[in-house]
Amino acid sequence: MPNYLGEFEQLVMLALLHLGRDGYGITVRRELEERAGRSVSLGTVYKTLLRLEAKGYVGSTVGDPTPERGGRRKKLYFVTVPGRQALARSLAALKGMSRGLDPALTIQ
Amino acid sequence: MNAARWLGWLLPRAEREFVLGDLDELYGGGNRLRYALDLLRSAAILHAAQRRAAHRVSMQPAPFSKRGRFMSTLLTDLRYAFRTLARNPSFSFLALLTLVIGIGATTAIYSVVVPVLFQPLPYPGAERIVAIGERNDDGSEGNVGYLTFRDIEQTTTSFEAVAATSSWQPTLQGQSEPERLTGQRVTRGFFSVFGVRPAVGRDFTAEENVRGQHRVAILSHGLWVRRFGGDPSVIGKPVSMDGIQYIVVGVMPHGFQNLMSPQSEIWAPLGYEASLSWACRTCRHLRSVARIKEGTPLSQARQELSVVFGRIKAENTNDYAAGSGMVINPMQKRVTAAVRPALLVLLGAVGFVLLIACANVSGLLLGRAMQREGEFAIRGALGAGRWRVARQLLTESVLLSVIGAAGGVLVAWWAVRAIVAYGPPSLPRLQAIGINWGVLAFTAGLAVVAGIAFGLVPAVAAARPDLFSALRPGGRLTGQRSRRAARAGLVVIEMALALMLLAGAGLLMRSLHKLLAVDPGFDANHLLTMEVQTTGSRYGEDAPVRAFFDQAREAVLAVPGVVQAGWTSQLPLGGNFDGYGIQIEGRVLANPEDAPGADRYAVSPGYLEAMGIPLKRGRIIAREDATSAPPVVLINEAFAKLSWPGEDPIGKRIQMGGPDTPWRAIVGIVGDVRHTGLDAEISPQVYVPAVQWPWADGSMVLAARTTGNPEALLASVRGAIRGIDRDLPIIGAATMDEVIAQTATQRRFAFLVFQLFALVALLLAAAGVYGVLAGSVAERTREIGIRSALGASRSGVLRMVLSQGLRLTAAGMVLGGIGALLLSRFLEGMLFGVGTRDPVTLIGVAAVLVVTGLLACLAPALRAVRVSPLEALRGE
Repeated sequence: MPNYLGEFEQLVMLALLHLGRDGYGITVRRELEERAGRSVSLGTVYKTLLRLEAKGYVGSTVGDPTPERGGRRKKLYFVTVPGRQALARSLAALKGMSRGLDPALTIQ
Repeated sequence: MNAARWLGWLLPRAEREFVLGDLDELYGGGNRLRYALDLLRSAAILHAAQRRAAHRVSMQPAPFSKRGRFMSTLLTDLRYAFRTLARNPSFSFLALLTLVIGIGATTAIYSVVVPVLFQPLPYPGAERIVAIGERNDDGSEGNVGYLTFRDIEQTTTSFEAVAATSSWQPTLQGQSEPERLTGQRVTRGFFSVFGVRPAVGRDFTAEENVRGQHRVAILSHGLWVRRFGGDPSVIGKPVSMDGIQYIVVGVMPHGFQNLMSPQSEIWAPLGYEASLSWACRTCRHLRSVARIKEGTPLSQARQELSVVFGRIKAENTNDYAAGSGMVINPMQKRVTAAVRPALLVLLGAVGFVLLIACANVSGLLLGRAMQREGEFAIRGALGAGRWRVARQLLTESVLLSVIGAAGGVLVAWWAVRAIVAYGPPSLPRLQAIGINWGVLAFTAGLAVVAGIAFGLVPAVAAARPDLFSALRPGGRLTGQRSRRAARAGLVVIEMALALMLLAGAGLLMRSLHKLLAVDPGFDANHLLTMEVQTTGSRYGEDAPVRAFFDQAREAVLAVPGVVQAGWTSQLPLGGNFDGYGIQIEGRVLANPEDAPGADRYAVSPGYLEAMGIPLKRGRIIAREDATSAPPVVLINEAFAKLSWPGEDPIGKRIQMGGPDTPWRAIVGIVGDVRHTGLDAEISPQVYVPAVQWPWADGSMVLAARTTGNPEALLASVRGAIRGIDRDLPIIGAATMDEVIAQTATQRRFAFLVFQLFALVALLLAAAGVYGVLAGSVAERTREIGIRSALGASRSGVLRMVLSQGLRLTAAGMVLGGIGALLLSRFLEGMLFGVGTRDPVTLIGVAAVLVVTGLLACLAPALRAVRVSPLEALRGE
């Protein structure tokens, strides 16, 4: 089953990598907004995380409850080894395809 | 965040905790709307994603979870409903307009009635605040004398604080125009009763409650800002009122209001002591309020009060009438007592409007369901269950009502502003009225309930399509009979409800007319009135006060266009009164408290003539009745009849007030005037020459009769008075017609609202009749064509359609008539001079209904007449 990553999936995985051990719904959304200028709904983020989890590219653990969450726990996501490989493949493909085009379209 | 806990149920269970946690973290307790929207969107997306994810793993189409199916179906139905509404803009517009009116009116009235009647008063522990007083004849709490109050304050233990108040109208003097304020003189516990402390400065102290040290004042926040620029340094400074220096000691917080005297802006200590002549037990002019101790039930406080009062009465038998007692009532009840029946009736009336709106939309939906029969049949043929189709229709109707509710809230927002701006000033707690979360929640609930209510009939009807005949070409004739009957039934209900509202409006209108037609006992045309108050050190003695009013009268009489003028201490219908106990010579009462009471008017020469109060017997007050002349009085006919039945009262003598006051001879009998209201009983009335009264009334009301429009003379009359003393406040200048209109504002308001509701109801019902007939004519085009082809006359066709419409109207009329007869008794308290089953009103409104029904039939009937047999049959 050759699995390619959609553009938004790539962004979400990159956000998780930036976030390290603190990747969950809100922080992922915030990263997307701050780094990529993308403003999306929480639901969209959840949907993508669930899909990536079903593909085996991200895994999840359950964090500690905090008072500002009304005593509820977080579902923390992290990028798995196959996920990291798939992301690397996708980015390499992008890089390869963009090589030799005008500088504005070339990924360094 | 209770709604969230409930909405959270929509999320897939596996993700619920995490998503709710995220939402809490994101919005805290803040933006509830965004919270709910995000939650709903997440729920829908996650259900779909879960299903897809499961599908991917098993390679089988995964079934939805129960909750997931609910969400997914809801989204599909909503999308479909939006498209359907957008495809039929004229239908959607009509249905939405109806709902906006129905829900808007209901929301507006709800947001007025609930805060006024049910919201706790804006004081801490408000439920423990009570009004107490000696029992009036009608069971309400009356005033108390100072000594009675003092005994109660000292001997009862059920209360945390007890206070007595008297009304006070000081004139504030200073750099700017003199201004007459409304205020209260209060005893020490007054602010403790309300549980509110001054925001700036301090409360009155115990010492300031003592006579001689009571020249201190506390300002309302509004007065402080208006007259003192909100300057905190006003504390400790003197202000001059009625020529006396008061020291400002405090300012009440913004929004503090004594709801039993909402206009009060300034408070000073009462400063009574037992030796004062006006502090006696029978000098009942104080109003009393109290705060019950925490944990003490009202019944216990009532019990104690009754025991204490019994003891007071036993010790002072001559000061209390035999049947007297004390009453104690929660302040909330007291504040809203006067308006409660009217507001509840309005709430009921608006409920009718909403029902009519629902019936109307229900009828519209039914009509459209007939057109969509083919669509439902196809869905059924493709395997959609009945419930599935019904659910689609319910989703559509709830969507309609939710959009309608959004528009309704806008309408309500405007309406509430209008009510606050133009509502009767007697409506208490106007400032508590507004659109708030409670109202919005009410409207949201209303929208869902209404949507289901008006969607249910069409949904159930559509759930049983006859697949065979519905899909046959040209054969949409079966299965519609029950639906048409349902639609006709709805119209009959609408007509019935409209008739009931019309009957209510009619009864109120007749009451208003009858009330305003009541003879007040004087000639209100061409009368100008205004109150002038003598104030300041110049008027410390009686002589200058009397001289001022004398000179002012001469000056007013000199104004061209004024034919007669006079002063009175009390103006009929002016909102105040001045009662005295009357002793009659030769009739010794064991207890002077059992003496009849009468309204006192201290009048100048010219007053009775200016008012046009007729002299019935004897003579009128003349210039000869001077201070030194033998004291005389005039009495009204009602007093003559009450106390001298079958006798001639002229020449008899009476005392006004206590036994040490002079005997006054009755020299004339004049006509009765309505004093407290056009709808009030006529009280015994006594006129005394102002100059013969032991003291001069500092505040008098002018009555000036004019030849032309009294309003045109207002400025010159005012100028004439100012010419004598330009520093005195002139209050409430108005024509007598305006004064009379003022007494009917509450009735007029109720009538206007009812009239509006009845009009809306009538329009909606007419639209319902029109809809049914238009639909029926359209359906029967072919039948009508065949009939005309076979020789039916135009008038025959016309009669056929009209009689169908009139049958509906007649059925509605009968049903509504019965309803009106049953329900009109709730209006009883608001009626005047008409019975609740007034036949004139009922016949009148029935006629209105019939005419409206006929008009609604007219367009469909004419369309039916114009059906050409050729075209009708060519359609085949």
